[in-house]
Amino acid sequence: MHGCTIKKLVCILFLCIVTEGVFSAEEPPSSTIVLENPACIECHEKQNRVIVNEWRVSAHAITNPVVNCVSCHGRLHKNLASNARQNESCISCHGSEKDPVIHSYSSSKHGILMRLEENSYNWSKSFRLANYRSPGCGYCHMHQNNHNVSTTVRHDLMSDLETESVQDKTRAVCQDCHSPRYITHLFSNNEAMLEVGRKKVREADHFIEQAAKEFSDNELTYVKKQLKIMQQHLKNVYLGGGHQSPDYQWWHGQPALDGDLLRIKDRLGELHRTKQ
Amino acid sequence: MNLKTPRYVWVPLIIALVTIPAGFFYVNWSKSGDGAGLYSRDWSPEPVFAYWNPKDFYQSVDTVVGEFSGEQCLDCHRGVTPGIVNDWEKSRHSQASKKVYCNDCHGSNHEQLHMPTPDVCSNCHATQHKQFVDEKRFGFPSHALAMERALDAKHFVDKPKAEVTACLQCHSVATKCDSCHTRHKFSAAEARRPEACITCHSGPPHPDDETYFNSKHGQIYLAEGKTWDWSKPLKKGNYPAPTCAYCHMDEGKHQVANKSIWKFGIKQINPLTSGNEVKRKQWIKLCTDCHDADWSAVRLKEMDSERKTAWNKLYEAEEILKSLRSDNLLHPSAKHRPPYPMDSPDDLIQYEHIGFFEGQASAFYNVSAIERDYFEMWYFDNLSAYKGAAHGDRSFIKKGHDAMDKSLDKIKQKAEKLRVFGEKEKNNKQRKTPEELWLNGEYTEYNRQHN
Repeated sequence: MHGCTIKKLVCILFLCIVTEGVFSAEEPPSSTIVLENPACIECHEKQNRVIVNEWRVSAHAITNPVVNCVSCHGRLHKNLASNARQNESCISCHGSEKDPVIHSYSSSKHGILMRLEENSYNWSKSFRLANYRSPGCGYCHMHQNNHNVSTTVRHDLMSDLETESVQDKTRAVCQDCHSPRYITHLFSNNEAMLEVGRKKVREADHFIEQAAKEFSDNELTYVKKQLKIMQQHLKNVYLGGGHQSPDYQWWHGQPALDGDLLRIKDRLGELHRTKQ
Repeated sequence: MNLKTPRYVWVPLIIALVTIPAGFFYVNWSKSGDGAGLYSRDWSPEPVFAYWNPKDFYQSVDTVVGEFSGEQCLDCHRGVTPGIVNDWEKSRHSQASKKVYCNDCHGSNHEQLHMPTPDVCSNCHATQHKQFVDEKRFGFPSHALAMERALDAKHFVDKPKAEVTACLQCHSVATKCDSCHTRHKFSAAEARRPEACITCHSGPPHPDDETYFNSKHGQIYLAEGKTWDWSKPLKKGNYPAPTCAYCHMDEGKHQVANKSIWKFGIKQINPLTSGNEVKRKQWIKLCTDCHDADWSAVRLKEMDSERKTAWNKLYEAEEILKSLRSDNLLHPSAKHRPPYPMDSPDDLIQYEHIGFFEGQASAFYNVSAIERDYFEMWYFDNLSAYKGAAHGDRSFIKKGHDAMDKSLDKIKQKAEKLRVFGEKEKNNKQRKTPEELWLNGEYTEYNRQHN
């Protein structure tokens, strides 16, 4: 049975390649044909090259395994966009309900409104001009159909190199509903909040570096582990700001970093006291 | 006044006449700084605070000049911010026989726009607003006093303002109605859903979301809630299972603190005062919408007993810390670390703040590790157990109490270690002061200079 399915898939793939001319015509493929990524790309490069190119430079295209057209849109040429626009198509890869990336959004006001109202939204509408009362993952990260999901996220939280480009991209999203002044103040506050978090991480890092001159790796195991936890708590601050979850900015973020920092100092203090 | 009146009458009278107005003026003066609240002279707000505490901080700008009618606002904002116009169009404000337009709440002069406060909403929703304001008489914790609570918290005043923005995002429930009735739809039905509460009522100190959804009440809601008619008022017979608002805002009364007995679990209370007996009867009456009165009374008794167990554990830990403090064994001690928020290094008496009445709520940074352990035991483990008990989620009662036991063990072991270090250093007649590590560092120094 399984072998049969694979044979079918291979045949279809072969057909897709052979019938490339058919797909490149105006008519879309039948909704019952099972598609593979190369076929999608082949046709859509001619139809709307922009989104294919956007996808090519996104994190989705360079990750392993690659997140391609069928990962989000499915294999049947039917309700392609409206299926992929819903949060579920992102959440299935981006972690469980309690994963900070997901939970910081789902507990925010945006996430709550989405949870309450998603069944009443018309998902065939594109991600622009406040077509949705509350934004889902795609509304912000693929605004105006931008298939490069990476333009609205930051990759190195310890540096502010990406701040401007990410803020510019995100501003265009927020202003569908929020005033320009609110957006400006919120962004600058988020950035300052993240910088406060970075200061805590750098402070811990500095004292651990100092201690490395005096103590062995073994003695510093605990503090180094705690420093890694700080990176997650810093990420929570970032996610809390980006997804507008007060809980992630605060309880999962700043005071958690305070606790990490003082526990690192406490252990370093203990090492000194043991030594003297 | 008869000059023969004895001294013990007129001396206190004169003192009272001087000190009461002086106190009044002092409080007014201390509230008149750049910030807001009792410590307003000690800090300046971030610009974004205006959106969560508009009464104190919002200022309009003159980017657009002119006076506009409601329809004119809509015409322009359909292009500028279509989301809020779409929202308004779905709201009852747009469907009322006499429409409530943008300018009815924000003003017509674009150079002097204001961010609507509860006072603005009270022009039409007077009953709800009156109930809401009246909640203040029940004291903390409450919605109506939430903003004051945040602004007067010593850690809020002490920390860099960009760091504590999140405080205002939730505590703005006192200063804006859209925390629950989100703009610009302002739906009553939406605010009745439990999800409307959980953006703020979640996380380590108040896992109301998890404990409610884990409970039988919450399980019924999760299974069936989508089919319920949320336009109905929160009254007996209208909902098959209770939600946050059904119990805490019964019959739609805009108060959550009026039946609060255990005060969030943050301090030990006497559950048997006459005031608390009245509240207990109110709870039982509410539970009898579905349950037997005697059965309900037993559930509330169980909460008394859970709280007693929790406080026994907390006081045991508190005693350990206070005894270390008496023996000068906390490391670093108050003299060798950045001061407790709003204390000064120049204060004559420096001490470690331990326990609710000494200001435990702000003792989560600038403290030693064992004090932080106690903070987490009190604020995270204890409150998890409390929320589990209050919402009928046994898994959280167990989780919270297990975590408290673990924290208590950790505190005992750490205390032992501190005593050994203390003993050793006393015998060696040396005690290395830890200032270098605790008073310095990028954040620590930045925090000292910025609030």
